Amino acid sequence: MTTADRFRDYSIDANFFDEMFHADGRTRDDWKGLERTLTDLSPEELTAIQERVTRSFSNEGITFTVYGDDEADERIIPIDCVPRLIAEAEWRGLEAGLTQRLKALNLFLQDVYGESRVTRDGVIPADMVMGCPQYRMEMRGFTPPQGTWVAVCGTDLVRTNDGYRVLEDNLRVPSGVSYMIANRKAVKASLRRLYRASRVLEVENYGRLLLDTLRELAPGGQTNPTIALLTPGVYNSAFYEHMFLAGELGAELVEGRDLVVSDGFVHMRTTTGLQKVDVIYRRVDDDFIDPTVFRPDSVLGVPGLMDAYLRGNVALANAPGTGVADDKSIYAYVPDFVRYYLGEEPLLQNVETYLCRRPQELEYTLDNLDNLVVKKVGESGGYGMLVGPHATPEERTEYAEQVRANPDDFIAQPTLALSRSPCLIGGKFEPRHVDLRPFVLHGQTTRMVPGAFCRVALRRGSLVVNSSQGGGGKDVWVLEG
Amino acid sequence: MLARSARGLYWMGRYLERADHLSRMLQLQAEALVDRPTGEIYSGWRRIYRSLDREPPGGGLELAPSHGGTAPQFQRAEGPSGQVQAQRRISDDYTLADSFTLADDLTFERANPSSMWSCFASGRENARQMRHCINAEMWRSLNLTYLKLQRIRMLDIWLASPEGFYTETAEDIETFMGVAAATMYRDEGWHFMQLGRFIERSQLASSLLLTQLEEDEGAAEHTESDWTTLLRIYRAQDAYTRVSGVEISPGVALDLLVTDPLLPDSMRRALDTVAQELAAIGSGPDRESSAAANRMAGRLRSLVLYEWPDSSDKLRLLVSIADLSRQLHSLVSVVYFDY
Repeated sequence: MTTADRFRDYSIDANFFDEMFHADGRTRDDWKGLERTLTDLSPEELTAIQERVTRSFSNEGITFTVYGDDEADERIIPIDCVPRLIAEAEWRGLEAGLTQRLKALNLFLQDVYGESRVTRDGVIPADMVMGCPQYRMEMRGFTPPQGTWVAVCGTDLVRTNDGYRVLEDNLRVPSGVSYMIANRKAVKASLRRLYRASRVLEVENYGRLLLDTLRELAPGGQTNPTIALLTPGVYNSAFYEHMFLAGELGAELVEGRDLVVSDGFVHMRTTTGLQKVDVIYRRVDDDFIDPTVFRPDSVLGVPGLMDAYLRGNVALANAPGTGVADDKSIYAYVPDFVRYYLGEEPLLQNVETYLCRRPQELEYTLDNLDNLVVKKVGESGGYGMLVGPHATPEERTEYAEQVRANPDDFIAQPTLALSRSPCLIGGKFEPRHVDLRPFVLHGQTTRMVPGAFCRVALRRGSLVVNSSQGGGGKDVWVLEG
Repeated sequence: MLARSARGLYWMGRYLERADHLSRMLQLQAEALVDRPTGEIYSGWRRIYRSLDREPPGGGLELAPSHGGTAPQFQRAEGPSGQVQAQRRISDDYTLADSFTLADDLTFERANPSSMWSCFASGRENARQMRHCINAEMWRSLNLTYLKLQRIRMLDIWLASPEGFYTETAEDIETFMGVAAATMYRDEGWHFMQLGRFIERSQLASSLLLTQLEEDEGAAEHTESDWTTLLRIYRAQDAYTRVSGVEISPGVALDLLVTDPLLPDSMRRALDTVAQELAAIGSGPDRESSAAANRMAGRLRSLVLYEWPDSSDKLRLLVSIADLSRQLHSLVSVVYFDY
């Protein structure tokens, strides 16, 4: 079978950047080896590979659990066996941009919980920062170890015909890194010779880099701190990841009820009694970590944890209060933060964003509702959002009223033309929209593995990559050279 | 080790031991369905239910329609008597239909917390939550069995070979234990898993043996084949033959199952292991109650080692062993998990 046959029905649409093909249909150079391999495989072999990849996930129990009325349902995130390829040079560009951005975001957080030069110098209005629900008064005047507010960040990148754009910074408790590693293990075991020949950069040492990062945050500079990973528990959809990372770190996986604070120190309950904990990689949201400070109804947290933290007796990664820096409207200012704190031009661009608090941009938004995605600030997971092109005129009119009533609460962005990458669908290759979530670690230095969790909208034409809505995953190969 | 993790591994050990035990009891019972008299089949079910302290679905087994209230007597179909043949068929049909219901209740019933499936799934769920405390080989072995069992229903196995299914399930669980023995780091996690497993074993074995002794006191008609079944549940038949010949004497069989130091499934070995594991784990936060747990384990051993041989009241001793095993479980929870 020739390449032309195997990809005969593969459609290239000039509106979307295609990861594998140029707009004129020629294969991009980095993808030629993969194309040959995919072409040489029989349809049966391809199907077998896809099945093997899928089966390896359920055999290994790499699942997220959906709790229904009856039995808990363990589901897997569907994985497409065709990797997404990125040349090393391109990756290094992303790496530099992400490093620069996280550096600026950490400086911004240190500033807004300290002197607030950024608002006094008029880079961003003070009321936007102080009025953000994610701004934690409790953190004012505090400096975390190494000045690291965000130790683990999972930036969502999208690619359009104009290049890569940052969609969201995800500075609270980003997840997905375990899928990056699981995808790699499954896909490389199925495309063994291609993997060997492709000289793919390694991602499986992520746990080691995370451990190094967390160690650097230990109070008093101790070199071998006791680290624990705080999970909301087995009912959390990312529980597999928490467990996986605890294993990689050699850390205890604790729930709030396993920890007690006494004399300003945090201890975990072991079989031989209480043992002091120095660093907590917490995967519980700010609101829930300490019922005496934040939400009093939280049963996931640890009473007294914030007190121990503010005394410097335990480190938290990420620090409480980082959500102010990934707020949807403050996002629009991040390129300015890069210029302000680092004196550099941002290497990675934002998605164009209109802040409805600005009269001109409000007018533009209202005039162009049918082309824009309008988001409510402070909401996440797609709630309170208007996808203009897919909304009815009535929905748009109704939404416009909400925006006009409280313009500060809304931002607008153009409908994104997410890039597409080939997927094996029903034995054939078809383009599907993808995004990219690399993970950036920050302790004394910035660390990254060359790879990412690539989410893919498996439904034809869909731009929604969320696993709850038909999204799946893909392995990302950064090719050496 | 985190107290909650230790508890998870302890319960993983307990649940898997229970699932293993159930699958072996059911394997023997499924074999009995092929060629044993109806009465023996019923007493087999009764023994299983009583040892688990569970009511059979629909109430007592004695109410089965073919034999109004008393244990049925098998009617040998001698000669061409159509009458007897017909009666026997009806009786057998009921036996099989009842057996299907009972086996399903004990094997796959999700609502029955002591069904084989429920025990296995609970053991696996504990493992899933504590995967970072066991290794990849163990998890994989357990999860593959889980995925396989998840798809099977009673009808799938009933007509072909239920005993084959139970044998395979027991083998799967024992394979897991073998993988654990071959690969698991001998840290606290291992010791707690073993502790749970062997405390469970001594509870299950004392309960099953007690049930049989009580049954023996009633009707002593098929005790020999009952004891053969027990020997086979504990994989002791060959050992019995080697040590004591082919004649099955209930007293000798009981002694072997309780006290033999060479028999892997004997109570003696289970209690030795319990004491060893407790010693390996060492003291919990409270020295006083830790020492009490160790003393209790020692007392359990001494019952089997020193009191059993001279005791004329084995039933009473078994009651003591069952009680102490339960108490030891509570004490372990208090010392290490819920202090």
